[in-house]
Amino acid sequence: MKIPIEFAGNLCAAALLCWVAACAPGTTNKPGGASANPGESGLAGGEGRRGEGERAGTRESDTGASSLKQMQEGKSSATSPASPLKDVFYEFDRYDLSADARAILRANADWLKSNPSARVEIEGHCDERGTNEYNLALGAKRAQAAREYLSSLGIPAERLSTISYGEEIPVCQEHSEDCWRKNRRARFVILQGRSTS
Amino acid sequence: MGIKILLFICGMLVLQPSIAQGQSKFEIIGTGGVRFPIAVSPLKNLGANTGDSARLSTGIADAMVHDLELSGWFKVIDRSAYLENAQTSGITLGTFDLKDWSTIGADGLVKGGFSVQGDEVSVELRLFDVYQGKERIGKRYTGRVRDYRRIAHKFVDEIINQFTGVPGVFNTRIAYVSNSGGRFKEIFVSHLDGSEKFQVTDNHTINLSPDWSPDGRSVLYSSFKDRNQTLYLFELYSGKEIRFAPRAGGRYLSGKFSPDGQTIVATHESGGNTNLYLLDRTGNVIRQLTSNPGIEVSPSWSPDGKQIVFVSDRSGSPQIYIMDVGSGNTRRLTYSGSYNTSPAWSPKGDRIVYTGRVGSRFAIFTIPADGGEPRKLTAESFDSEDPTWSPDGRFIAFSSNRAGKYHLYVMQASGDNQRRLTGSGGDDTKPSWSPRLD
Repeated sequence: MKIPIEFAGNLCAAALLCWVAACAPGTTNKPGGASANPGESGLAGGEGRRGEGERAGTRESDTGASSLKQMQEGKSSATSPASPLKDVFYEFDRYDLSADARAILRANADWLKSNPSARVEIEGHCDERGTNEYNLALGAKRAQAAREYLSSLGIPAERLSTISYGEEIPVCQEHSEDCWRKNRRARFVILQGRSTS
Repeated sequence: MGIKILLFICGMLVLQPSIAQGQSKFEIIGTGGVRFPIAVSPLKNLGANTGDSARLSTGIADAMVHDLELSGWFKVIDRSAYLENAQTSGITLGTFDLKDWSTIGADGLVKGGFSVQGDEVSVELRLFDVYQGKERIGKRYTGRVRDYRRIAHKFVDEIINQFTGVPGVFNTRIAYVSNSGGRFKEIFVSHLDGSEKFQVTDNHTINLSPDWSPDGRSVLYSSFKDRNQTLYLFELYSGKEIRFAPRAGGRYLSGKFSPDGQTIVATHESGGNTNLYLLDRTGNVIRQLTSNPGIEVSPSWSPDGKQIVFVSDRSGSPQIYIMDVGSGNTRRLTYSGSYNTSPAWSPKGDRIVYTGRVGSRFAIFTIPADGGEPRKLTAESFDSEDPTWSPDGRFIAFSSNRAGKYHLYVMQASGDNQRRLTGSGGDDTKPSWSPRLD
């Protein structure tokens, strides 16, 4: 049977091409190998290197390093019992401060008053429920609530910065209320060697 | 430049439309209807035997079977039932016995052949109406051997066009977040069948909220790689990346391209307050869209680019609102449930898909864009989150922990035919479905 075949038009197809080998379907290709980072293209924000510079100036203190750095080093971001600054905990989808939370913040404020050179980054964290983005916003609210209360107790706002990790860096990995309660927290990290923003 | 980047190169795969088509279509397939019985023969090797022959013969057929099953519109008859020898029978009407296919219950039949020359493969694919003894589609493709799956995806898109009048969406990609079983969350891009998996980020921090540019060339995502979270626009073709500088003391949590690709609506957090900003493609602020003291996150555009659906906690709990971008007028969309997030506007414009809390679980809902009763699409015996529409609005991809870890799934917009897409050892979340790709 004769089939008329028209060669009408070429359709351009986006094709994945590897600069290097190992591009077989199903293979995972990493843009930044051992020899280069995407950030080194000059357009990105200096992937890794800028962060390293900052972290190099952060002194390991009794509070531990930032949760992100702890995670990168394979360590728990749980606050050590020896830390002079204790975590504050929140209810699900809430960022208001309970009486317990205020008591902890008053103790944290007392320590900050006795250590006037210490600058602190307040990390807001959430449990895993809900969407990542909403939890990033909620974590920011939690950190800000703690910051404002410390300010109201006389700690200068410029000594206190905030960051939200949302639900991204839990201290407890199980899917239970016992675990979630521990993850809904504000954590206080003493910064040295760089100004807060 | 010494940079090891994957490039997307145009023009490697050439489609040569061909062959007389029948006038009448198969029956139009509706949702929830009977699945059309179709057989997909392994392809015939029309050239010399090479090391790739067996892989191509069944690999192209397997990729088509995957797509046809995923669509929910076809029942693919199992290959073990096939009667003829694919390597000895013909691939054009009259050169094989239609009875071999009608006997096993196939109303539709896909046959084809291929030949390999060097690292190029030429593939010829045909769709037959077994019942009427007619050929419906015939196409010839050439491309690199390693891209053979994409040829299969493109032909299935043609098959779906033949049946429904609208091309399929299998020549697309999904961008998503995966921890690959480790501590870090990185951005990946792959085809719906998991092939051609490409790692966009490898910075060992937390990368979130990937979003495709409407031209399919770039992925916008947020990252903690510079410690302070902000947005990055990564161009897949060149490996170039732009960092969006947040306002002083603030950070960008996520962004979504407008349908025309010219602007981005971004969530910006400062002093604990999150608000929506309109940015240009390089991250410059055009104007602030909301200025509330609460939480305003997860924006998504209407297909005409005139409205934005987003989440606000201004009522005391996260609910979904719609804002007219021009006037700023805002109305509340969801009233049932105490926790509704991550809305996405259907490409058809009629419905909005979102994640809602049911008891202690999260489920996917859709609701008419002008308000009304929500429709729950997933069961609450597990969590389903992060819905994203296919470019034709007929499918929704999402993440769910129904198999333990979070994996990506796809379902029809009605909620029918929920099927798993990914199976990495870790949690795969936050899917973003690409536009149709060439």
